[in-house]
Amino acid sequence: MPRPNLYYEERMPSPLQRVWLEFRRNAFAIGALYILIFIVFISLFGPLLTPYGPNQQFIDAISLPPAWSVNGDVRFLLGTDELGRDMITRLIYGARYSFALPLLVVIISALIGVTLGAIAAMTVGVKSSTLKHLLDVLMSIPSLLLALVIIALTGPGLGNALLAIGLVMIPQFLHVTRNAIHDERRKPYVTASRLNGVSDYYLLTMVFFPNIVRVLVIQFTIGLSVAIFDIAALGFLRLGAQAPTPEWGSMLAQSLEVAYVTPWVMALPGLALFITLVSVNLVGETLRQAIQKQLEQ
Amino acid sequence: MTRYLLRQITLLFFTLLALSLFTFCLSYWFAGSAVTNSSGIFPDDPSYATIATARGFDGGYFGQYIAYLRHLFAGDWGRSLLDGAPVFEQLIVRFGASLEIMLLALLVAWFPGVAFGVLAALKPGRSVDNTILGMSISGYSIPVFWFAQLAILLVAVQWGLTPIAGQINPLFDIPAVTGSILIDIALAQPANPQAAYYSAFMHMILPVTVLAIMPMMLLIRLTRNSMLDVLNKNYIVSSYAKGMSTRRVLWSHALPNAMQQVIRQLSNLISLLIANTFILEVIFSWPGIGNWLVRSIYERDYPVIQGGLLIIGSLILVTHVLLNLFHAWRYPQVRKDLYAAP
Repeated sequence: MPRPNLYYEERMPSPLQRVWLEFRRNAFAIGALYILIFIVFISLFGPLLTPYGPNQQFIDAISLPPAWSVNGDVRFLLGTDELGRDMITRLIYGARYSFALPLLVVIISALIGVTLGAIAAMTVGVKSSTLKHLLDVLMSIPSLLLALVIIALTGPGLGNALLAIGLVMIPQFLHVTRNAIHDERRKPYVTASRLNGVSDYYLLTMVFFPNIVRVLVIQFTIGLSVAIFDIAALGFLRLGAQAPTPEWGSMLAQSLEVAYVTPWVMALPGLALFITLVSVNLVGETLRQAIQKQLEQ
Repeated sequence: MTRYLLRQITLLFFTLLALSLFTFCLSYWFAGSAVTNSSGIFPDDPSYATIATARGFDGGYFGQYIAYLRHLFAGDWGRSLLDGAPVFEQLIVRFGASLEIMLLALLVAWFPGVAFGVLAALKPGRSVDNTILGMSISGYSIPVFWFAQLAILLVAVQWGLTPIAGQINPLFDIPAVTGSILIDIALAQPANPQAAYYSAFMHMILPVTVLAIMPMMLLIRLTRNSMLDVLNKNYIVSSYAKGMSTRRVLWSHALPNAMQQVIRQLSNLISLLIANTFILEVIFSWPGIGNWLVRSIYERDYPVIQGGLLIIGSLILVTHVLLNLFHAWRYPQVRKDLYAAP
């Protein structure tokens, strides 16, 4: 049905809306977005979907292959591990540790980092190339190494790993926010708002923020992908989540001893991790391209 | 250039100083006696009092830091709490082993990465481009520890093509001098060098390939994006208009300019490479620094943690500055931007 045109002004979609319109054209990216929504869903309602507990053992069903093979049992759809624990239950519970917790950590450090970055950029006068150089140097150190340093101080454990990743993420968001505001600072629309005499708070939330939110979204997806990978890597190195926790990385680490006898115990957590990371990276890359295309117009 | 060089070297100096200050502070932040944490000598050792005096622990913090620096430059980085081996000598050997697979992986990643990136950029939006981009994103997302395990399971166990772990068959008596196994074989002059090189090569092939995958995929994307930028420039259009062949345009106009942006982002690639080397060394039992550092974190071997962090931190900082310098030296227009900036 054609929309009756009552007004003569053009409908201009906001920057974020235009990015979304561009994003929607890529079918793979939409698929990846659905996968991410599905993972969020199972990490919220996982316990309601699974018949068993994550650490519940079945003595009669040790190292069963997935249900479709000859020796499989339909009670255990993706088989069981060497202690007789249901794989699919552990994978579903693992989504909480390997996806939901990194997501929360990135959200929290994004809030802190963006606030600090905005403060750093708004208080002009501290025109410190020193801070910029130091942050540049800090950026060049791999996040996994920084997390290892923090874990060396605090000792292994899932809580410490999460804390470490969160602390590592904060400077990245700070850096990106500060640079983005710096790039926008000299543009005419900002000068115009300044001439209007708006307060600093208004300038930040109403003038800068809508224009830098795209950059922050990209940084958020990059940070999420890095956080998921790092939490899993620390779990794999046995420095993060510890033994019975069904975190995907530590499940992989435990499966190494039986990898040659029951390969599915090793393959499945890695596959789950792989699918999650592909989805996050695909969404991030498509967003980046959409924003790039919009900037070129 | 001189001004930029001086500025970068000053920056390097101060960041290295900050790094050493940090590792110095670590011996206080770790549990237990600071003397033991920095030197690896236990309090019940008879030489404990001498060591404490030599490291300035009867004076203030500043004197201690100076003493710490003096010990660092003298090559006395303490002893491992586990086996009493001198940290510095061990570090040299392990550093060589890590550097060897890192450089080889970078080399393996470089040419296919650039080639595929250029190929994708030549046909943007076509099926070639989409295939390469899809491959690049999925390859970039493979968790490297899982991929390494799959590779071992398939190539080493199922097909039996390569050994599972280690640097070389232990029956070869190759003393570790530099840590880099290829150089060590050349130095040791074994009876049949061909067999030794062959064994080292077979041990190396799996870790280096797995390590190269992720940087290669990142490189494909970096090259493609910067190549796309460059191909839209006017000078490319004009060189086509002059009647140059595609090959000539690519080699002498597009590629050198596209490489500028790639080199600017190379430090991301290096940090990715270092993080992955850590994980892979644990999996392949490669006697490198990552393997050692991770083990020392389990065992709370504080002198080793300090030394390992110091050397890896310095490696990253020095590479960062060298890349910046190379970038400014190779591309004068970047230098102009730097000087014009206030």
